[in-house]
Amino acid sequence: MAEETAERVRKVIAEVLKVPLDRVVPKAHFVRDLGMESIRSIELIAALEEEFNTDIDADKIGDVLTVEKSIAFMEKTVRK
Amino acid sequence: MPAYRPLREQEKQQLRSQGCHAEDWSRIAVADPFDAARLHGVEFLGEVRIGSLAGTVPCGKLAGPCGIYDAVLANVTIGSGCLIKQVRSRLCGYVLGDGVVIEDVGLIESEPGTAFGCGAVVDALNEGGGRGVPLYPELSSNVAYILSLHRHRPKLIQRLENMIAARVARAKAEPAAIGAGALLRGVQTIRNVMIGPGARIEGAALLENGTILSEVQAPAVVGSSVLAHDFIIAEGSSVTEGAILAHCYVGQGCKIGKQFSAENCLFFANSEAFHGEACSVFAGPYSVTHHKSTLLIAACCSFFNAGSGTNQSNHMYKLGPLHQGILERGCKTGSFSYLLWPCRIGAFSVILGKNMANFDTGDLPFSYVEAQGSRSYLTPGYNLYTVGTVRDAAKWPGRDRRKASAKRDLLNFSAFSPYVVGKLLRGEKLLGDLATHTERSVEEVNIAGVFVKRLLLKNGAKFYGIAIDAYLADRLLARIEPVLERGLAEVRKRLAPEPQGARRCNWLDISGLLVADERLNGLESDVENGLVADLAALQARLAECHAAYAGDEWNWVAAVWEERFGVKPQELTPAALAEAADKLLANRQRTVRMILADAEREFSEAAQVGFGVDGDAEARRADFEAVRGTFAANKFVAEMKAELAALEKRVADFKAKAAAL
Repeated sequence: MAEETAERVRKVIAEVLKVPLDRVVPKAHFVRDLGMESIRSIELIAALEEEFNTDIDADKIGDVLTVEKSIAFMEKTVRK
Repeated sequence: MPAYRPLREQEKQQLRSQGCHAEDWSRIAVADPFDAARLHGVEFLGEVRIGSLAGTVPCGKLAGPCGIYDAVLANVTIGSGCLIKQVRSRLCGYVLGDGVVIEDVGLIESEPGTAFGCGAVVDALNEGGGRGVPLYPELSSNVAYILSLHRHRPKLIQRLENMIAARVARAKAEPAAIGAGALLRGVQTIRNVMIGPGARIEGAALLENGTILSEVQAPAVVGSSVLAHDFIIAEGSSVTEGAILAHCYVGQGCKIGKQFSAENCLFFANSEAFHGEACSVFAGPYSVTHHKSTLLIAACCSFFNAGSGTNQSNHMYKLGPLHQGILERGCKTGSFSYLLWPCRIGAFSVILGKNMANFDTGDLPFSYVEAQGSRSYLTPGYNLYTVGTVRDAAKWPGRDRRKASAKRDLLNFSAFSPYVVGKLLRGEKLLGDLATHTERSVEEVNIAGVFVKRLLLKNGAKFYGIAIDAYLADRLLARIEPVLERGLAEVRKRLAPEPQGARRCNWLDISGLLVADERLNGLESDVENGLVADLAALQARLAECHAAYAGDEWNWVAAVWEERFGVKPQELTPAALAEAADKLLANRQRTVRMILADAEREFSEAAQVGFGVDGDAEARRADFEAVRGTFAANKFVAEMKAELAALEKRVADFKAKAAAL
């Protein structure tokens, strides 16, 4: 289940940020490594919401700055 | 008015011995006490009246004697306590007030029939004409807006133009004057310019057909190498450093300088223009352009900031420069951004990139619009959560430089008002409907010429909804906080609509003044029907609209509250009032967290590039901290946290009092 969540999160990130999936590694930083501009974060949040059919409070994810943190966040969100 | 008398023979002899000459000495009149020793090298032509020249005027830190030295005077009246020296060509056709200083000037003259720039037409917004605003001294941004943009009411425009024609006739009948205490120094040529009290004109090259409004407590300043014709410059403004103005109005508290050139432009309260160029621009209050390579053309804006290299075009088709652009209040253009008119940009939006599409984002305020290839993409509501928006809204009231006795441009500074929130409501519905009805296979939708990614629709509507709810709750609390301790009956009375207020209707932003369209329509109809006598009466009626804001705003809020939540505010129970306060706090906490997250990016590693250039990572961090400080200690961050703390207290107090109702 966790692995499936992780893969789904990685796929969404790759699609939204238009980067190859193999660059979306756990330690990758959204800004430094994947080139995400801050305005793209809104789109990424929306894509994750749609993928997981959930609502994400954009104000609660200010420190979710890496792929692995985003996976952890979505795992926690999905478990609720 | 002093009592004048002819010169005595002895005085004439003394004057001749001091190098003075008159065409006809009998046409020279003086006021006592008259000291002939204070005139040297003066040539008198025509009628000349001179007030008492006793006393001194400031000369730097010293004081120099009043008097007239090395000057040609033709048909002038000179007040008391003046100093006039080195008028190389002539001073002709003017009435000088008391204490005027004129030094080292070329030509200052007025010609019969001049209206001093009154009536000069400024073709703002549409370079090809059709929206001409005839100038008059008391022009406000609000009247100019109606004249320029309400052309769909030709009878109204005709009435206004008639009022202005009457004003122009009065201007023509006034003698050319240089007001008391004005200073003109090092000026090459002034022709047909009315100059108000306390004005400072130093080093200007050519000023022709204009009015410089000035008051002692709000002096106008015109500086070195300025060229201006067909203009009005208002109190407290400065036009300096080689600026060039042709057919322009420069409103109160404006600053124009550093070789800025403007043609057919209106600049209103506290606008600033340096280095660049503007052509046919209606620059409403607080319009700011500071940088070289910026061309503003055929645009209407207010509370606006132009990034460096901002550019626009109004020649889309072959029929000439006919197009126009509307940037609603609070917009910003990024560096080297471009807009191809016609476009309308929603309030508090940011424009990035080279936008070649024509679009209307009027109902999608607080958005980012970014060009990508030949398309423009909009991220709705993104600018609700940026530091820039918060800082802008906070700074404008404190930066009102106007010190004149009458502040003509009527301004509402509120970022959130029935005007903007009305747009948020329309945007929320538009985005929400599209989110619901657009299939997942569709990647992006086109809204009035701009593209929005489907994924952004739902959250865009959500962001707008949060802002709407926060505004409504804030207004509800503000409405009853003063009367909470007077009991439930009093609270309910206060929550009822104001009987004299406007009903639920659209709101307008007429260049700074926010007004219910029902109220403005009533005023415009009265003008059409001859019930508003003149320009002063019109301005007074607009002031009434401005004064009615609070009541009209409450009526709008009450009506929207009922539409949105299904209950009239005056029927809310104490528990429901407390719940509204809780929601306000929750919304605001969420908003502040996002704004602080935006602020924190300024302290991230990405922001530290270029710091500590000669050291390691620790040197970079230390250098950055020494120059920029830390997030925790940042003044803006502290202010946001303090605002939130104050709101928490406000809500706690409110709930305690509501519980006692």
